[in-house]
Amino acid sequence: MFLTRSEYDRGVNTFSPEGRLFQVEYAIEAIKLGSTAVGIQTSEGVVLAVEKRVTSPLLVSSSIEKIMEIDTHLGCAMSGLTADSRTMIDHARVEAQNHHFTYNEKIKVESVTQAVCDLALRFGESAHGEESIMSRPFGVALLIAGVDEKGPQLYHADPSGTFMQYDAKAIGSGSEGAQTELQEEYDKSISLVNAETLSLKVLKQVMEEKLNNTNVQLASITPEYGFRIYSEEELQVVIDRL
Amino acid sequence: MNFTDFYNETLTSVPTERSFYPYEANGGTALAIAGEDFCVVASDTRQSNGYLINARYAPKAFKMSEKAVLANSGFAADGNALVRRLTQRMQWYKHSHEKEMSITALAQLLSNTLYFKRFFPFYTQVLLGGVNENGIVYSFDPIGSYGSENCRAVGTAASLIQPFLDNQVEFKNVQIVEKPRLTLDRALCIAKDAFTSATERDIYTGDHLEIFIIKQDGVTTESYPLKRD
Repeated sequence: MFLTRSEYDRGVNTFSPEGRLFQVEYAIEAIKLGSTAVGIQTSEGVVLAVEKRVTSPLLVSSSIEKIMEIDTHLGCAMSGLTADSRTMIDHARVEAQNHHFTYNEKIKVESVTQAVCDLALRFGESAHGEESIMSRPFGVALLIAGVDEKGPQLYHADPSGTFMQYDAKAIGSGSEGAQTELQEEYDKSISLVNAETLSLKVLKQVMEEKLNNTNVQLASITPEYGFRIYSEEELQVVIDRL
Repeated sequence: MNFTDFYNETLTSVPTERSFYPYEANGGTALAIAGEDFCVVASDTRQSNGYLINARYAPKAFKMSEKAVLANSGFAADGNALVRRLTQRMQWYKHSHEKEMSITALAQLLSNTLYFKRFFPFYTQVLLGGVNENGIVYSFDPIGSYGSENCRAVGTAASLIQPFLDNQVEFKNVQIVEKPRLTLDRALCIAKDAFTSATERDIYTGDHLEIFIIKQDGVTTESYPLKRD
């Protein structure tokens, strides 16, 4: 795709004659530079796991946050330009709170994903000439997981504003290998405990560093406890099962 | 004293009162009774203005979904505007969330809708009757305070009907050891009796009685004549 560079990859919202939006495609490429994130849906809940690239021994690993809470029943893992995710997660949180305020019920996982994706194409100049919020597309992909009346669900949202539901999904630099591994290992009847193990097993295979309880982050969303990030001790228990 | 002086000193100094009263009281009554697996919402259809009758058939109870019916009493124009607003919000909700709004969600939305007009309220008392897991009745004041109850009457004959419902549905002020389960037939009888009696005493209640029966499988309506005097 880089061979076909032309004046069409300058304007952020100009279609090329072949009908492509280069800047959006490049944004999707940006995610492939990010650290790997994995999500697995089970009947008992959803597991999210991310790799944290601890690039220096002086780096405080707990300051890397790649799994975040959207609401008590919703969580999110990210890969790519994680700074961009602030805007999206802020929006998702506002949307979830607004829904609760207006309807006194928890927002659906799909609805919150849709809300985040509505933001994705609001870059460049808008049609009416008013200021738009962003000058470029988001450089981050999200795995949005949650539990609602339809049960545990996992969605993948990318910079093009498209979202799809997955049983198991990997994003980021190791996503190709990780996705293949998930495809082989995933079973509809997988338990939450086995999903925890599988998520770390998959990360372990694609990570360059040796996996330990400080360079990965693990979270689960269950009907019983909602969104929960695992402590280092809990993480160690899962690692010991590997 | 010439005219100009008279005008300036006398006429212009007369205090004048201007008034703006955008509300009317159109009368009418509504009640709702919740049972274990059903809910009954009943209202008359008379719309009055003072001693005049505007309309003999102007419904004030509306089916909002397969699980909820809204009845209101007070200023009919505000009541109708409120219903239109909610109907549109429910349609939006359906489009964006691909499901019907539950009665609990509708109750919260209604409360917010009323409170957002805190300083120019919809001049209407609202009852929301329907089913979620059980039959349920929500009642609202005009600025959005709400709560769930087993039975409630609103409108011009509310003061006549509410004590009757308290006694017949909740068995208030009755020495009774075991309270029998409220059946749909009994709830319907109570609703009909309440309205025939209220029609005798309240000039704003009459013409027709409309009863909505809400169950898990949907809403049905019944209609009965009331005295037209």
